[in-house]
Amino acid sequence: MILSGLSLTTLLGIFGAMAAATLAFYILRLRRRAVSVPFSPIWQRVLKDKEATHWFSQLKRWLSLLLQLLIVLLLVFALGDPRLSDKWFEGRNIVVLVDTSASMAASDVQPSRIEVGKKQLTDLVNSLSGTDRMLIAEMGAAPRAVSTMTSDTAELTRASQSIRTKDTRADFERGIRFALDSLRGLPKAEIVVISDGAAHQGDELSARFLGDPALEHVTLRQLPVGSGGKNVAVTAFSVRRYPLDKSRYEVLLEVTNFQPEAAVVEITLIGDGETVDVTRLSLEPNERMPRSYHDLSGASRTLEARVALVGSEPVQPGVEPGAPVVVDQLSKDDSGYALMPERRRVRVLLVTAGNRYIEAALLLDEYLDVTVITPSDALPRAEFDVSILDGVAPELRASHGARLYLNPPPGVPLAHKSPQPILDFGFDSWDRKSPFLRWAAMGNVQVAKGFAFKPETADHVEGESDQGPILVSGKRDGQRFLATGFDPRDSDFVLRVGWPLFLLNAINTFASEDTSYISSYRTGEVWNVPVPSGLNQVSLRTPSGLEETVPVKDGNAVYFGEYAGFYELRGPGGEVLSAFAANLIDAEESQLKPAEELVVGHKTAEKVTVSSTGVRLEVWLYLLLAACAISAIEWFTYHRRVTV
Amino acid sequence: MGLFDFVKQALPNARRLSLAPRARGELFGEDFQKKLETLAIVSRRVFSGRHRADRRTKKKGSGVEFADHRDYTAGDDFRFVDWGAYQRFGKLLVRLYEEEEDLSIYFILDCSRSMAFGTGEKFDQARRLCAALAYVGLANLDRVTIVGVGDELATRLPATRGKGQIFKVFRFLNELKAERGTDLAEGLKTFVAQHKRRGLAVLISDLYDPKGFEKGINVLRYNKFEPYVLHMVEPGDANPDLKGDVRIYDCETGDEREVTITDELLERMRGAFAEYQTEVERFCVKNQVAYFPADSRTPFDELVLRVFRRGGFLR
Repeated sequence: MILSGLSLTTLLGIFGAMAAATLAFYILRLRRRAVSVPFSPIWQRVLKDKEATHWFSQLKRWLSLLLQLLIVLLLVFALGDPRLSDKWFEGRNIVVLVDTSASMAASDVQPSRIEVGKKQLTDLVNSLSGTDRMLIAEMGAAPRAVSTMTSDTAELTRASQSIRTKDTRADFERGIRFALDSLRGLPKAEIVVISDGAAHQGDELSARFLGDPALEHVTLRQLPVGSGGKNVAVTAFSVRRYPLDKSRYEVLLEVTNFQPEAAVVEITLIGDGETVDVTRLSLEPNERMPRSYHDLSGASRTLEARVALVGSEPVQPGVEPGAPVVVDQLSKDDSGYALMPERRRVRVLLVTAGNRYIEAALLLDEYLDVTVITPSDALPRAEFDVSILDGVAPELRASHGARLYLNPPPGVPLAHKSPQPILDFGFDSWDRKSPFLRWAAMGNVQVAKGFAFKPETADHVEGESDQGPILVSGKRDGQRFLATGFDPRDSDFVLRVGWPLFLLNAINTFASEDTSYISSYRTGEVWNVPVPSGLNQVSLRTPSGLEETVPVKDGNAVYFGEYAGFYELRGPGGEVLSAFAANLIDAEESQLKPAEELVVGHKTAEKVTVSSTGVRLEVWLYLLLAACAISAIEWFTYHRRVTV
Repeated sequence: MGLFDFVKQALPNARRLSLAPRARGELFGEDFQKKLETLAIVSRRVFSGRHRADRRTKKKGSGVEFADHRDYTAGDDFRFVDWGAYQRFGKLLVRLYEEEEDLSIYFILDCSRSMAFGTGEKFDQARRLCAALAYVGLANLDRVTIVGVGDELATRLPATRGKGQIFKVFRFLNELKAERGTDLAEGLKTFVAQHKRRGLAVLISDLYDPKGFEKGINVLRYNKFEPYVLHMVEPGDANPDLKGDVRIYDCETGDEREVTITDELLERMRGAFAEYQTEVERFCVKNQVAYFPADSRTPFDELVLRVFRRGGFLR
C-alpha cells in the first residue's frame, strides 16, 4: 500500500485532532436534557430491570464511540489517497493516440470531431482503475506525447484538454510505432486510437505491421468519431511571377468537391489583404477542377485563395441576402497560401569591351540595374549581386557578388584542359536540372571555337562536349561562379531563345530569386528554409503570431511545420530575413468519410465499449463509502437505541 | 398607524394575554359557587356511614339518654346523683348521659410539589373537591377544618361551621401553595397532635410519598380518626410526553437518573402507575379505609355527584 496523498505523519496529526474533536462532540452528545418527573420511585421500579444490563449499556456506548472513531480513521486514511501496490493488483498500461489531423476539425458531429474525441477520452480516463496507467499522445504528422505514463487522472484530464487539431494529416504508422515503443516490456498493454480514420493508409498500413512481434502482446482498440459530411477543398495552389514581367503573376488553383452531390463554390483570391478576384464555379459530384488565373496583378507579396461552399439553404438570420451561406463542414482545407518572390532590382556589373548580345538580353528584364564598364575602367566600389565578365577576368572584390565568366582567360577561375583551342563542338551532355539551364535547349547549340576546362573537385560540370567540360559552376573565395568555355559570339547560342534565358537564369540563381522559388511549403513535413550564412538560430513568427526559436543547419532553418498560413523568419536583431507560406493541400485529408475499421498487421481494432473501459478502483473512494456506511449504521443504531 | 399607536393598541391586549392563564380567583368562580349550592341540596350530608352529624358521641355530657354511672366526687352536680341507686346500694353514684355533639371533619390537603406538577390541574382539582366537600359539611353545620400538609403540617384553617364561612374556605384554599416535599407520616403526626377532637379525616393527595403512603394513613388510623382517602390521579403522570435520552429528576427530592425513553419503557411506566394505584386501593380496602380515586380530568361536580355517591362517600 502506497500513500500518494498526505504523508503518514500528517495523517496521524489530523487523526489526533479529529479524534479529539469527535470525543468532545461525543461527550456533548451524551449530555442529556434534564426533565422533571412527579414521582421518581415509580421510575426506579421500572428501570430496576435495566440495572441488570448496565455494563452492557456501557459497552454499547463505547461501541458507539468506537464506530465514530472508525469513521474518522477511514476519512483520514482516504486523505492519504492510498494506492494498492502493483504487487497486489496489476493494472493495464494504455497508450491513447488521439488523431489531431485536419479532418478531426470537421463539424459533422457537434461541436467537432476533436471535441467528441476529447469527451470520449475523458470518459476513458474516468473509467481507469486505480492501478491502470495511461499515456496520451497526439497523432498528427508526428506523434507527440502530451502526458507521461501515469495513473494520475488529474494530469491525464489536463493533458486531454490541451489537445488541438493540426493542419496536417495523421501518420498512423508513426503513431502506432510510437505506442508500441512506449508499451515495450509493459504488461497488459493496450493501444486505443481515437480517430475518424480518414486518410489512414488502409491496406498499406496493415501490410507494414505484418509479422511485427511487438504487436502480438498488445490489445488494439478504436474509438471512432465522425459520420461524414459536406466538404470542398483547395487541393492545389501555386503562384509565380512572370519572369519578364515581375509585376504580374499567374495562379494555379485546384478545387475538389468531396461530396456525392453537385456543389457551387465561390473562390476568392486575396492579394496583400485585398480581394483580387472572386469567381463562382459549379462542381459535379466528386469533381476535381484545376483552374489557372493569368496576368493577375495587384499583389506584390502574399496571395491567399479561399473556397466557400455556397449552400442552397435559406438565408440564415443575420446573413445579408446574396451572401454565400457556408455549409462546408471542414474549414481547414478551404484556404491556400502562397508567397511570391520578392520583387527587387538586381544589380549587375557588366565588364565588356562591347557585346550587344549580352546588353540586349539584359534589356529584357526591366528589374535589372546594369552597370557597364570596359576592361580598362577601374572597378566600381558599389555592391553588385552579379558581375558578368566578357572575356576578361579582373580581380574582383567580395562586394561584386557572383561571377559569370564568358570565355575567361586560362587560370581564372579555371584552368584550361589544353592550351590548344577546341573547334566545332556542342553540348553533348548537360545537367537538365541545373537552374542555369532551365527552359534552355542546349542540344542544338553549335560552337566554332573554345576551350575545355579542367574543373576542380568541388566544381560542378553543367555542360560538356565530347572534348571536355565547357560549362562549369562552383565557388571561389566564397563567391559562386559560372564559366563558359567559349565566347557566345563564336556560337549560334546568341541567336537562340535559350541565350537570354540562360543569362537571366544565371542572374536569378545568383541573386537567389530563381525560378525554383517555392511559393509554399506543405504542412506535416520538415521545412528547410534558406537563411543567410553565419546564423546558428533564427526566430520564426507563426501564423498565430507566436515567436519560436528555430535552429539553422547547413544554411537552412529547420522547422517541423504543422499549421498552414504565412511565416516570417527574423534575425537576431528582429529584421525580417525571409518569409514563406505553408499549406495543408491534402486531398485524402479533405475526404471526410470516416474509415470503417482500423487494421494494423493482422489485427483489427476492437471497438471500445463500456465493459472494456473498466471500473475505477480508487481506494479512497471505497474508504469514503465505508465511512458513509458505518456512519449510517451508527446513526441507525443510535436512533434505534441500540448503542445508547 | 405609527409605532406608538400600535404599541398603545397592542399593550391592553398584551395585558389581557398576560392574565389569560387562569387567575387564582377563578378557581372558585361564580359557576363553581352555583354548582356548590346544587351539591349542598342534593348531598345532604357528608359520610353516610355509621354516624350522623348530629349524633351522640361517647363523650359523657349533658345529653338526654342515660349512658352510665360513676362514683360521686366532690363538686359534682347534685342534680345528677342517682338517688334510687343510693337507696338500693347505699352508694352515691352520679348518672352519666351521652352528650350530643356536631361532627368534626378534617380535610387534609397534600401541598407537595408533585400536586402542582405539570399544568397544576391536579392541585386545582384537589382544592375544588376540598371546597365542595367542605361546603357540604358546612351546610350541615359540621365543624370543618382544613389543613395543608407536605413534609410537615403547613397551614390550617381553624374549625368553622355554617355556610357563611365558605368564602373563608375559598380564601384559605386560594392561598395554598404546592411547594413542599411529601412526608405524610410526619405531617399527620403533627396534625393528630394538634387536633384532639377525633372525627373524619379526608386525605386529599396523590400519595406520592417517598417514605410510603401507608405510614401517613396509618397515623390517622392509629389515632382514632376515620380516614377517607381521595386519591388524586393525573393521567399525564403515567404518560409523560418524553422521547429519547433524558436525565430525569424528582420534582420534590431532586433524585436524578439518566434514562432513554422508548415506547416500551413508556408502556411499562403506564403499567407501573396503574399498579401503584391498585396497591393504594388494596391497602385501603384491607384496612377498611374508604378509598376514592379522583381523576383530575373529570369535572369536579360530576366527581362529587356521581363518583362519590356511587362509592358511598356522599348520601
